[in-house]
Amino acid sequence: MSHNTDEVPHVAVDPRLLEVLVCPLTKGPLHYDRAANELVSRAAGLAYPIRDGIPIMLAEDARVLDAP
Amino acid sequence: MSDNTADTTDFGYRQVPTGDKKPLVRAVFESVAPRYDLMNDLMSLGVHRVWKRIFVTALDPRPGRRLLDLAGGTGDISFAWLARGGGPAILSDINPAMLAVGRDRALQRGIAADLSLAVMDAEKLPVPDRSVNRVSIAFGLRNCTDKQAVLAEARRVLKPGGRFFCLEFSRVNVAALRPIYDAWSFSVLPRLGQRIAGDADSYRYLAESIRTFPDQATLAGMLETAGLSRVTVQNLSGGIAAIHGGWRL
Repeated sequence: MSHNTDEVPHVAVDPRLLEVLVCPLTKGPLHYDRAANELVSRAAGLAYPIRDGIPIMLAEDARVLDAP
Repeated sequence: MSDNTADTTDFGYRQVPTGDKKPLVRAVFESVAPRYDLMNDLMSLGVHRVWKRIFVTALDPRPGRRLLDLAGGTGDISFAWLARGGGPAILSDINPAMLAVGRDRALQRGIAADLSLAVMDAEKLPVPDRSVNRVSIAFGLRNCTDKQAVLAEARRVLKPGGRFFCLEFSRVNVAALRPIYDAWSFSVLPRLGQRIAGDADSYRYLAESIRTFPDQATLAGMLETAGLSRVTVQNLSGGIAAIHGGWRL
């Protein structure tokens, strides 16, 4: 897990892309978690990682969210 | 044989469990990514550049139009779309290694302004319904496991009046070309792949996957099944490749 924002600066993700993208499974909205650098689909219970500024919109690469 | 009902699917000439194709294709493209553009030139003797130019002309780039480029890998189609006056482009590929090559090329060319990049599975697009004017897939559909699902997703994300275009290897319809083409793709090509990319198996897969891909009429029928209208087929170089197009009406 590389959630340490102090040591690893994130490459900024394209803001226009954030407006466009939806969850590939539910086609519902995504929430951008800036600290974790993830796109969170609450409906799917998945967090899609952003690597080098590129969102990885694959369920198999997403982190499964803990149950609320 | 249908892609979405069978328990096995094509991986070149082999049948593999449906769930295995994606990681196998991923491994092929991770292996070939750094040399992919060079290999395309060798595989097609440079002709793929001409085909892509014709393909982008078919896409009809205009400033107000938004493009979703599927399996866009190293960026040829998106770059040409932008260079020829197209609106914002989303360059996508399922393979981060391929997309990284595309991003580096975009930065070198200084054309990143209207370009967004995202890793996407063309069968499960993270894009809203009716949100783009063009969907393109060039030399990508044959690597997808469930091709019908890709076509359905393309239609879903298109705005009414938007158009889908696929550029892909197809069936040679000029008899005199066939023996030469066969010798080229099954003898010369894997050896070139071995010599240049150090990977004959990946290039053998590429050659085989071309032959197992649906022919012109079959693919046209699949576009219609996906709900695309006014489907057109344009053969290139005697059917070595073809452009399929369809409208969402």
